[in-house]
Amino acid sequence: MVGRVAKESRRPLSAVASEALAYVDALHNLARYLTGNETDAEDLVQETYVRALHAEHQFTPGTNLKAWLFRILRNTFVSLYRRQRAAPTVGGLDTVDPDAQGVAHEAWLLGDIELDRLRKIVGEELEAALMTLSDDARTVILLDLEGLTEAEAAGVLGCAVGTVKSRLARARALLRQRLKDYAR
Amino acid sequence: MNCDEARIQLLDLHRRRLAPDVQNDLRDHLEACADCARADVVERELTSILEQRLPQHPGSLALKRRLAAEWPAPSVGRPRWSRWRRWLVPAFAAAAVALVAAPALYYERASSRAAAERADMVTEAVNDHLRLLVSQHPLEIESSAFHQVKPWFEGRLDFAPAVAFEGNDDFPLKGGAVGYFKDRRAAVWLYARRLHPISLLVFRAEGLPWPARGLTSIGPVEALETTERGFNVILWRRGELGYALVSDVNAGDLRQLASKIAAGQG
Repeated sequence: MVGRVAKESRRPLSAVASEALAYVDALHNLARYLTGNETDAEDLVQETYVRALHAEHQFTPGTNLKAWLFRILRNTFVSLYRRQRAAPTVGGLDTVDPDAQGVAHEAWLLGDIELDRLRKIVGEELEAALMTLSDDARTVILLDLEGLTEAEAAGVLGCAVGTVKSRLARARALLRQRLKDYAR
Repeated sequence: MNCDEARIQLLDLHRRRLAPDVQNDLRDHLEACADCARADVVERELTSILEQRLPQHPGSLALKRRLAAEWPAPSVGRPRWSRWRRWLVPAFAAAAVALVAAPALYYERASSRAAAERADMVTEAVNDHLRLLVSQHPLEIESSAFHQVKPWFEGRLDFAPAVAFEGNDDFPLKGGAVGYFKDRRAAVWLYARRLHPISLLVFRAEGLPWPARGLTSIGPVEALETTERGFNVILWRRGELGYALVSDVNAGDLRQLASKIAAGQG
């Protein structure tokens, strides 16, 4: 795979290429949370850079390069990794999940005791809870944490801007429910 | 506004993405509804623990080396002169014919030179920020304790990097390092906005082509706000020191941090 990058390397360095390497950590972090293991994450990041180099002319100057790279990474993940999984995620975030809807089911977090428990969650528990969510839920939460706007996240996820808002709300609601199991 | 409408917009409120009228409606609802006010606290808490405690998985040094080795090597850019030659040569010719145009031409060249020098300053600041980001160990002192970071610079620089902003919940301090800005050493203070790193470079200002036009007031200082390659940059000079603030956070957030830093320089 690296050799494929080398073949492209005869081209002069563009503004895109010069900046792209600054996002290795952010891309690898998302890749790690998507694939769940280090080896696949590194392969996914490398393949993302190969594809980015091929598609460099499609990048619109002045737009968010990091978001563009995230989009390539996510599409690469979907095309190469997700379909290989033995146990694909059941149900998307756009399906109606009664446990994630409305306000009534969040009562467990509405007391001071529960809020106090949430504050005691440690990193490992947080990661474990996040990894129980679907790929799309994890992605939308991580993109939000990376500071992408809803429009940029919509570009990454290939959905409408309004869909990002509802997906993110549901994903966070699901995460809070999962954290309930750790918050003891 | 009912509770479901309010809940779905809490994150937008936290991210400052709501129109003023919607924001006012939501704040009114939160004041009147204890459950939604509690949900607001919970959402803020969840964001906080995600930002501060979710383990990060940066790329390994081996991966970065492989990508850096195989990625295109920087090409040598055309000399700046060659870019301007197309119009400068006819301009010189015209000036030779009409000496009366000379002052105007001189002014134009000076303006171009000043603009180029200013662009160099901005480019340097962005490059310094990028160097920090791609470094495997960007911080030489990793601490959110201002009173650990500030003394750390003593003996490592030939100036005292005057910074009084200690960081807060919105812009936590992450640590510091010694870097370079052009030909001189610089104190690098690293802050963050959510997951975005923000570099503050502090360096001796003398001998640098500080911009004198197009400045905006940020607190007690006059600063240049600009963007390059998707990064927002704010440059200002205070006394003998220069300051460069660089990040990919939005311009408003960066200006907010600049005003906090500049506030201590009044």
